[in-house]
Order: sequence, then structure tokens, then C-alpha cells
Amino acid sequence: MKKASYSILSMLLILTLILAACGNNGEEQVTGEEKDGDGKYKIATVVKLTGVAWFDRLEEGIEKFGEDTGHETFMQGPQKADAALQVQIIEDLIAQKVDAITVVPFSAEALEPVLKKARDKGIVVITHEADGMKNTDFNIEAFDNYEYGAFLMDNLAEAMGEEGEYMTTVGSLTTQSHIQWEEGGYKRQLEKYPNMKAVARKLETNDDLKTASEKFRETIKAYPNLKGFQGSSGNDAAGAALAVEEMGLNGKVSVVGTSVPSVSKQYLESGAMSQIGFWDPADAGYVMNKLAEMVLDGKKEEIKEGADLGVPGYENIKVVDGKYIFGSAWVGVGKENASDYNF
Amino acid sequence: MYNKFFQTTEFYLIVIISLLFLTIGSQNSAFFSINNMFDLIRSGIVPGIFVVCALIVLVSGGIDVSFPAIAAFSMFTTTTILSEAGFNGPIIVPFLIGGAIGFILGIINAVFIALFKLPTLIVTLGTSSLFSGFLLTFIGSSQISNLPTSMLNFSKMQILKFTDETGIVVGLPISVLVTAGIVILVSLLLKYTMIGRSIYAFGGDPASAERVGFSPVFIQFFVYSFVGMLSGIAGIMHTSMMRNSNPVDLMGSELLIIAAVVLGGTRISGGHGTIKGALLGLLLVITIQNSLILMGIPSYWQRFVIGALILIGTGLTAVQVKKTNAKRKSILT
Repeated sequence: MKKASYSILSMLLILTLILAACGNNGEEQVTGEEKDGDGKYKIATVVKLTGVAWFDRLEEGIEKFGEDTGHETFMQGPQKADAALQVQIIEDLIAQKVDAITVVPFSAEALEPVLKKARDKGIVVITHEADGMKNTDFNIEAFDNYEYGAFLMDNLAEAMGEEGEYMTTVGSLTTQSHIQWEEGGYKRQLEKYPNMKAVARKLETNDDLKTASEKFRETIKAYPNLKGFQGSSGNDAAGAALAVEEMGLNGKVSVVGTSVPSVSKQYLESGAMSQIGFWDPADAGYVMNKLAEMVLDGKKEEIKEGADLGVPGYENIKVVDGKYIFGSAWVGVGKENASDYNF
Repeated sequence: MYNKFFQTTEFYLIVIISLLFLTIGSQNSAFFSINNMFDLIRSGIVPGIFVVCALIVLVSGGIDVSFPAIAAFSMFTTTTILSEAGFNGPIIVPFLIGGAIGFILGIINAVFIALFKLPTLIVTLGTSSLFSGFLLTFIGSSQISNLPTSMLNFSKMQILKFTDETGIVVGLPISVLVTAGIVILVSLLLKYTMIGRSIYAFGGDPASAERVGFSPVFIQFFVYSFVGMLSGIAGIMHTSMMRNSNPVDLMGSELLIIAAVVLGGTRISGGHGTIKGALLGLLLVITIQNSLILMGIPSYWQRFVIGALILIGTGLTAVQVKKTNAKRKSILT
């Protein structure tokens, strides 16, 4: 019995030695667990949902960061948008003893306890799209959500000729960023475009194209004078544009929203959609991992107002309360430049 | 005959739906427009097939939660294959491939259920996750937006198309004919064929059905492979209607579908249920889902209403199970 456990132990030791030697070019200390200053880190990124173009693109940024720096970076996410599944994935990552977890929460509140647990175990936590999150080292936003919402509203107003009724949607009423975009846009409309009117606000689409399409169809029946649509989740604007095209309303109703060019190109070209806004998720993924690396390297002090994180749109960051970071990385795409992006 | 009709679930459903229609219509007259009626039908095209699937399985005494996963798997695999092959042929091809993939996945369900005699809910819960996971890991996880031309054309074809006074083009997608065809076919199958009747017999009492000579293995293989095939077809219809193939679409719709079927009078214990009732149940669910904005209900309340709907639908199921158990007990003692 004792002999067996000794031999297992020694085999494990040898295995650890081999693994450590491979991982660290044989020069590092061989305990495997502890990383020193210039060691390689294991950084996991957890997203809301796999299988959507948005997070596929984000994964590209994560992989690029891994190639540029040599750290082990990878992405995981649930197959359906569900906060509980995200919690499970993070629990697993804690058990795997990763060095850092960067996460795009589906519901910020639901992740607070598990991220607290991660931080208690010494894991660096970076969040994205979760402004105000407590249990995080840093939360990074591509931009101030209210400003981005206002940017979308400016585009919608331009397309609508600054007058008429419009509606807004959010992926889920628990997705903070969507709510903030919606409110930023609504506020801009109240301030700058008095001839516009929100008739239906914050309708939930569950990030689903079919639902978005149905909500649009229903709203235009309730409000036949509807002239505009501002969507939040990646599928909202495409769903509305599908309905616009089917109903022969091209040019009569203007659709703007967050989306990616690959999904929206057909509608931008047909004229069913006026403009989409987004930030390049690849850059967001890259910058999240970059932040994780900086914290792990003990360079936390360098992340401050006006710092340059070396990624486009994040060259002059804004920092609120010491840990909420904002870039200015939004991109607007219309018919003419839809082909410039491959995601 | 007439007295009997007044006691059926269908009758009560018709009364409830009529009351609902009147209530919504009195709030907003747009509800009774042809445009709105067509939109209700349009929302029911893909769920309509799912309802048929759920009904067949429930009648056979099982419960299937894997049909959205089978549909998503079939549609995404088909579009992946076709877009990579640069397919340019007729629309029937994607339907055949999708149906065939669905059929095979259905057989997998049937093997576990009929041969290994495992509980249907557990098997389909497992395969649902399995199919979806396999799809995302091995087939692909990014949306496909450039569908084959014939699928795009199929989505753009509308019947009964006209432009109403407000300049909106109103029409029903041609895919509604596929759903109608499937509904009629399955109604006939369940009512007039030996295999249809044997599904009811088996669902009602497996032991007696076997004694009169029906093969349970054959019945279950038929049920799950047929339902798999229908799900595959539904998936292709969904993807062409959306002009976009997203491997995570449809997942999670099973609860509301099963709730609709149960609302329609199908017994979860098997052997009892009609297509007519199931479709009425679906109409009720879709009407509620698609009229909350028309009634001016704020979006926070919409969540509440949908939640209540699922609760009532599944609650009814639970009550039924309790009742049948009580009945069986009274026979035994």
C-alpha cells in the first residue's frame, strides 16, 4: 500500500518535472505552481456565449495575445446565454488554478460571489462590459456606455432626419451595458432631438434574431408611424432589418444598432439597415489579457488615467475610482465600409 | 356528441383564446388586422412543427427535450456543408440533408430508449447537450450569413402577398405550406394508420399494447426517428427564414413548446392528445407572447407574463401526473 503510493507520488513528481521543464525552457525553478516575474502565465477568458461571430472575433484577439507574448491564453463560454453556466465554468477554472480570469459576464450580479472566490485564491480577475462590478481587479470598457449609446442615437437621428417615433431593444434586462447604451441614446435624444419620440423602450430580445424580428413587427403594428429602431445585442438590428426588408419598408424605417459586419452586411447593402456600431472584440480580448498580464507582473500602478495600453482605441484611457477603465474604441460602419471587416 | 365536445380541452381552449382575442382587440384594434394575424401564423411556423414532434412523443408515453438541439444540429451542419461546397442547386436538397441528419440523430435517441430501456427524459436531456456540444466543437461555432441562393430565395417567397393602406407589405412565408403539410400528414397518420394507432396504444398501456401484438421497439424507433426527421426539417426552415444559420439558435425553446402541447390537452402520462389541441395550445402561447407590446405592457412585465405562462403550462402537467397516479392507485386497491 505504502509502496504503491510512493511510486505514484514519484511518478507524479517526475511528470511535474518534465512538464515544468518543457514549459519553462529548463531554466526556471521546477515547482511548477509558482510563477516568478518573467514566467509564462495561464490566462483564461470566459465569454457570454460561444458560437456567435462576436466572441469568435474576440477569441482571435486572445490568440494573438498568446502568440505575441507566449502566455497560455484560451477562451471558454457556455453554449447558451445563461449566468449559471458561466459560474460553473469559472468554478472549473479556479480548480485548474489559472493565473488570471478575464470575463465578459452575462449577468454581473450572478458572478460576484464566484469572482470573489477566485480573487480570494489569488487569481487576477479582469472584467469587460460590467461597469461597477465589485469583485474585479479592473473592469475595462471599450468606451463609456452612455457615450456609445449617444453615438448610436446620433446616427439614428441622422438617418431619420431628426424626427419621428422610434423603439429600442436590449438583449436582456439584466445586461447592464445594453441598458446603459439604451439610456445614453435616450438621453441624447431628449437633449438634442426634440422632434423624436421613444414609443417602446428596452424590449427584450434574448439576443435572438427571430425574437428581435417579431418584436419589431409587433411594435410597428402598435405604432404605425414608427420610423426608427435602435438595437443593443448583436442580433437585434439584423432581426429588425430582416422584418423591414420583408415588409417592404426599406428607406421608411431606419435601423441602427450594435452588430458585426458579417451578419449585417446583406442588410446594409440592401438599405434595410442604416448604420451599425461596434467595437472590435479582438482588440477588447487583447486588451483584457494585456491588463491581466500587467497586474500579474506587478505593474498595477501603471494603469492610470491617460495611460497607453498599446492597443488601438485604448491609447488614452479614462480611469474612474481606480479600477473602472474606459477606452474610446467604437467604430461606425455603414454601407460603404462594411467590406473592410472580416468578422 | 355535442355534449362530449363541450367537455374537451379543445373547447375550453377555444373559449379562452376567444376571450383573449377580444381582450387584446379591445385594447388595440390593430390586433385584428390581417397583418397581425399573418404575423401570428408566421411566428408559429417553426414552433408548429416542434409542437407536432412534442405531441407524438408525449402520446407515445415519453418526453423529448432534444428536438431543438436536433433541429439546430441539422440546420447548421447542412448549411456548413452546402456553403463549403458552393452549393447552387434546388431547395429540396437542404431539406433532404437536414431531414436525413435529423433522422439519424433520432435513431440515436431511439437506441437508448427502445433498446436500453432508459427513461426518455434522461436520454433526451443527455443527447440534447451531447448534440449541441458536438456541433459547436466539431462542426463550427460561428454564424453563417451567406446561405445558398435557393435558401435565400425560399425565404423571400411569400404567398397571399399584398400591400396594405399604410404601405406595409403583408404576406405569409411560403414555408407555412411545409408546416401545414406536415400537420395534415401527421394528423392522418395518427388517426388512420396502424402505426399511428399503435403509438396511442403503446402510450396508453405498453404492456397491453405488446400483448395485442405491437412491437414496442419498432414503435419507439419509429417515433424518435420520425420526430428527429421533422426537427431537421424545422431547422432548415428556421435557418432559411432567418437568412442566417446560428448554431445556438432554437435551444431553450423546448419548455414553452411542451407547455403549449400540455395546455392543448395532451396527457404527459401518454396515450392521449390531439394535434388540434396542441395547435390551439400553441396559438394561445404565441398570442400571449406576441401581443404584450400591442397591449402596451412594459418590458419588465413581459418577463413576468412569460414566466407565469410556463408555470401554468408545466403546473398543469404536474397536476395531471398526480391525478393519473391517484387513479391507478384506486384501481389497484
